[in-house]
Amino acid sequence: MSTTNLISSSYSWGQFTPTLVLVGLALLILIADAFLPRLNKQTCPILGAVVSAGVACFTAGSSASALFTSLACAATAVCLLMAYDYRSLVYASVAGGKHEDGAAEFSALPLLACAGVCALVRSRDLIMLFASLETVTLASYAMSGYFRRNQGSVEAGVKYLILGAVSTGLLVMGAAWFFGATGSFTGDPRFVLAALSNPYLSVGMLLGVALLLAGIFFKVGAVPMHTWIPDVYQGAPTPVSAFLAVVSKLAGFGALLIILLPFIMLQTTVRDMVHSLVLMLAIVAAATLLLGNLGAIPQQNAKRLLGYSSIGQAGFILVFFVSLRSTIIGPVFNYLLAYGIATLMAFYALAILRMQRGSEELSVFRGLGRTNPRTAFMITVSFASLAGVPLTAGFLAKLASFQSLIGSMGRPQFIGLWLLPIMIVCAAAGFYYYFKALRFMYWEKPQANDVPVVFPPVCTCVLALGTLLLIVLGVTPLLF
Amino acid sequence: MMQNLPWLFLVLPLAAAAVDWLLLARSPRAAAGVSIASALVTLALCIAYLCGMQTGAPAAYAWFPAQGFDLNLGLLMDALSMKMMLVVTGIGALVHIFSLGYMKGDPSNLSRYFAGLSIFMFSMSCIVLADSLVLTFIGWEMVGFSSYLLIGHWYHKDAAADAAKKAFITNRVGDFGFLIGILLTLGIFGSLHYADMAGHMKVAAGSPVLTAAMLCLFCGAVGKSAQFPLHVWLPDAMEGPTPVSALIHAATMVAAGVYMLVRLQVSMGLDAFTDTACCVIAGIGAITALLSALMAAQQDDIKRVLAYSTLSQLGYMIMAVGLLAGEAAMFHLYTHAWFKALLFLAAGAIIVRCHHEQYIWNMGGLRKKMPLTVLCFLSGTCALVAVPGFSGFFSKESILEAAWERSLPLFILGIIVAAFTTFYMVRLCLVAFCGKARTHEAEQAHEPGFTMLAPLFVLAILSIISGYGFVADQLVPYAEFHAESAEWSATLFAGLGALIVGGGLAWLIYGRPASLAAKSDPLGANRFSRVLRQRLYIDAFYDRVLVGGVQYWFSCLVSCVDDGIIRRLIGQGLGLLTAWAGHLLGRIQDGSLRGYTMMTALGVLILMLILIILF
Repeated sequence: MSTTNLISSSYSWGQFTPTLVLVGLALLILIADAFLPRLNKQTCPILGAVVSAGVACFTAGSSASALFTSLACAATAVCLLMAYDYRSLVYASVAGGKHEDGAAEFSALPLLACAGVCALVRSRDLIMLFASLETVTLASYAMSGYFRRNQGSVEAGVKYLILGAVSTGLLVMGAAWFFGATGSFTGDPRFVLAALSNPYLSVGMLLGVALLLAGIFFKVGAVPMHTWIPDVYQGAPTPVSAFLAVVSKLAGFGALLIILLPFIMLQTTVRDMVHSLVLMLAIVAAATLLLGNLGAIPQQNAKRLLGYSSIGQAGFILVFFVSLRSTIIGPVFNYLLAYGIATLMAFYALAILRMQRGSEELSVFRGLGRTNPRTAFMITVSFASLAGVPLTAGFLAKLASFQSLIGSMGRPQFIGLWLLPIMIVCAAAGFYYYFKALRFMYWEKPQANDVPVVFPPVCTCVLALGTLLLIVLGVTPLLF
Repeated sequence: MMQNLPWLFLVLPLAAAAVDWLLLARSPRAAAGVSIASALVTLALCIAYLCGMQTGAPAAYAWFPAQGFDLNLGLLMDALSMKMMLVVTGIGALVHIFSLGYMKGDPSNLSRYFAGLSIFMFSMSCIVLADSLVLTFIGWEMVGFSSYLLIGHWYHKDAAADAAKKAFITNRVGDFGFLIGILLTLGIFGSLHYADMAGHMKVAAGSPVLTAAMLCLFCGAVGKSAQFPLHVWLPDAMEGPTPVSALIHAATMVAAGVYMLVRLQVSMGLDAFTDTACCVIAGIGAITALLSALMAAQQDDIKRVLAYSTLSQLGYMIMAVGLLAGEAAMFHLYTHAWFKALLFLAAGAIIVRCHHEQYIWNMGGLRKKMPLTVLCFLSGTCALVAVPGFSGFFSKESILEAAWERSLPLFILGIIVAAFTTFYMVRLCLVAFCGKARTHEAEQAHEPGFTMLAPLFVLAILSIISGYGFVADQLVPYAEFHAESAEWSATLFAGLGALIVGGGLAWLIYGRPASLAAKSDPLGANRFSRVLRQRLYIDAFYDRVLVGGVQYWFSCLVSCVDDGIIRRLIGQGLGLLTAWAGHLLGRIQDGSLRGYTMMTALGVLILMLILIILF
C-alpha cells in the first residue's frame, strides 16, 4: 500500500498535459471518424501534425524530459505529415480504395503512441514506465500491421506483436526481481546501494536490471533484441517505419536513462560494484554496432537498410551509456536529434519515391541527381549526416560518442581498447552503405521512362527544413 | 553583435554562392545580381574598415573542441589583411561587373559562373583574413576548388576540362608539402595562430628542422603561386573565361602564396626564415622570373603572353620574400594586382570583340578600332614594363633595390628579366595594335560596352597612380608601409637601361613594315625560338618522364599491390568474408519467428550471465 501511495503522490496532473492533449486529440479524431461520415479524412493527419507540433513548441525547455517530449512530438508531427502525403496508399489499404472509412485511425495511432512517450520520459518509477511504454508498444503493433491487405505489413505486425510480448514479459519479470531486491519500484539510489552491498540481494537485483535492460533493448533495437527491426521496418507502412525508427527509439533511450539513473548517481561511490554492468553495456554496444553496420552492407532494400542503420546508430548511442555519467544526457539527446532529423528525411523521401516509382529498393534513387537536383542534394545531406560527414549534425554527434569513450578510457577491463576500433570500423562501414544511395542518385543514369519525381510541397518543406537544421547544427556547435 | 560584422566578408559571398547554385540556377540575371551585390557590399565594408570604422575584435568560431587542440577559427584584422582585402574585393567587384558584359550571350550556365566567382571570393577572403594556418589551409583548398570550377567552366571543351584537372592536381602536389609544413609549424611553435607564434619558437634559430618547415610551407606557395617547377598549370589555366583569369590567375589567388609567406614573416619573425630557406626561396623566384620571361617572349596567344608575364612577376615577388624584403613583395603584389587585372580585362575585351580570337598574328590595327581599350591596355603595359611614373616602376624599383643590397647575382637576373618583360610586351602591342588588321574578325572589332569599359577605366587610373607615395602609403598591404621616392641610383639606371634595350630590340624586330604585315612570328623559324615555344620542353618532360615514365612504372607497381594484395586478398577475401557473414546474418535473419525468439532468449541469458559472473 505504502508504495502505491508513494507513486501516486510523486506525480501531478500538470506533468501530463502533453499526454492528455494528445490522447484527447486522438479520441476526438476517432469519434469524428466514426460519427461524421462526410468528414474529409485528409484533415486528420494535418490536424494531428499541427497539434503535436504545437505541443512540441509549448513543452520545449531545457530539462531532459522537456527536450525528449518536444523531440518526440516534433517527430510525430513529421510522421503525420508523411502519412498525409501517403494517404492514397492508406485509403487503398483500408477498403481497397472504395471508401475512406476508418482511415483516420492511421492518424490517431501515432498520437496515442506519442502520448505514451510523453508520459514515459516523465515517469520516475517502474510502474509508470511500464504503463507508458506499453501505450507506445500497443499503438505501434496496430500501426505496423495497419495495411491489412499487404502481406508484408501483416507479417510485420505479427512479428512485432510476438517479439514485443516477449520483451514485455522480460520487462515485467525484471521489475519483479528489482522490487524483490530493493523493495521499491522507484529506483531510489539508497535502496539500490543497500541491495548492492548485500551479498544475498545484489545478484538478484542485477538479474532484475539485466531483464529490465533486455526489455528496453527491444525498443532501442540493441542486440540481442534487435531481431524484429529489419523485418518490421521493411514490412510496415513507411510513415510507421519512420515513427518506429525515431519516436519509438527515443522512447527506448528515455527509458534506458531512467532505469540506469540510480547507477549513474551511484557511479562515484560504487565504481567497483557496477563494473560488470558497464562491461555488459559495452558488449551490447559493440555487438549492436557490428551487427547493425555490417548487416547493412549487403542490403538492397532501402527500408531494410535504414532498419539496419537504425540498429547501428543505436550502437553509437549505447556507447555514451558505457561511461555511466550524468553528463551524457545532453550528448544522447543531440545524437537522437541529429539521427532523428536525418532518418525522418530519408524515410520521407523514400515514401514519396515508393508512391511514384513503386519500389522500395535502393535503385529507386536512380538518377535523382539529374531529374531532381535540389531534392537529391537534400537527400544527400541527410545520408551524409547519418554517415557522419563533417559540417553536418551527424558528424558532431558521432564525434561526441567517440569522445565520451575516449574520456572514460581508464575503465575496468580496458573497454576503450577494443570498443574504439570497433567504432572506427563501423563508422567507416557506414560511409559505404549510406553512400550506396548517393551512388544511385549521381552515378546511375535515369532510365528511359523515368520522369522527374514530383515531391509534394509539404515534403519539400520538411526536407528543406531538415537540411537547414542539419547544416546549421553541424557548423554551429554552440547550439548543439 | 557588431563586433562580428567582419564575418560578413566570408558569409556574404558564401550565401550568394549558395543562393545562385540552389535557387537561381535557372535565372542567370538574378544570380549575377546577387553575386555582384555581395561583391559590392564586401568592398564597401572593406573601405569602411580602412576609413577607420572600429567594431572590436570579431569572436572566434570554435567548431569543436578536441583534447589538447582546439580548432578555433578566427579573423585577423590588421593592416596587412584589411588592405589585402581591398585588393581582393576591389578587383573582385570590378571583375564581377566586367563579367556581365563579357559573358553576355554565352550559352553556358551563367548562374554556375557567378556562383563560382562568389565561392572564390569566399575562399580568398578566408586566406586573407585567417588568423591561423588552419583557416588559411581551408581557404587554400577552397580557392583550388573554385579555380577548378572556373577554369573548367566551359567543361565541354576538352582543353578546359584538362586544364582544370591539371591545375588542381599540380596544386595538390604543393599542398602536400604545405600540410606537412603546417604540422611542423605546430610542432615548432606549439600553435597555429599567427598571433601566438612570435617568440614561441621551440628550436634554435637556424636549425635544420626550421629550414625544413619553412621549405615545406614554401611548397604550398610554389603550387599556388605557380613557381618553377610547378608553374605548368598557370598558362593552361587560361582556358577559363578571361575575367576569371584576371581575378584568380593574375591578381589575387596566385598572389596568395606571396601573401602567406609575408604573413609568416610578419608573425614568426625574420629569425624563422633561415639562410638556406631564404636562398632556396629567392633562387626559385628568380629562376621562375627568368624562365617565364623567356617563354613569354615567343608566345602567340595574347592570354598566354600575359600568363607567362604573371609567372615572371610572381617570381619577382617570391624573390623579394626570399630577400626578406616583405614590404617590397607586398608593394609589387599590390601594384601588379591592379595593372595585371587591367591587362587581362582589356585583353578580354579585345578577345570578345574579335570573336574569341586569341592568336595575336590574327589581330593588328586594333588601335584604330577600339582606341579606348587599347589605351587602357597600354597604360597597363607601361606599368608592367616599369616606365617611370607608372605604378609598376616604383614597386619593381623597390624589389631591385632590395636585390642590389643583398645579392648581386639576383640583381643582375632581375635586370635581365626586366629587359625581357619590355621586349615581349612591346612585341605584343606592336603586333596586335599597329599595322593593318590581318583578318576579317579584327577588321570588324569595335569598342566594348559600358559594363566592360568602366572597370577598365578604374583599373587604368589605379595602375597609374597606385605607385605614388600618397596612394601607396595608404593602401599597400603592409603595416607602416612607406614608399620611397625614386632617386638617381644604380638600380634606376639599370632599370631604365633594361627598358630601353628590351623595347628597342622589340621595335627593331617587330616594328618593321614586313613584320607588321606578317602572319606569324618572323623569329619563329629560329631554333632558340622553337625551344621557347615548346616552353623549354618542361611540360613535355613532365608528360614523358613524370607521367609517362615514373608514374607509369609506379602505377604498374601500385597496380600489382592493388590487384594482388588489396583486390585479391583483402578485397575479395573481405568480400567473401562479408558475403559469408551476410549470408550467415541472412540465415539468422530469415524471417522465422521461432528463430528470432530463440536468439532473443539466448541473448538475454548471455547478458544475465555476464552480469552475474563478472560481478
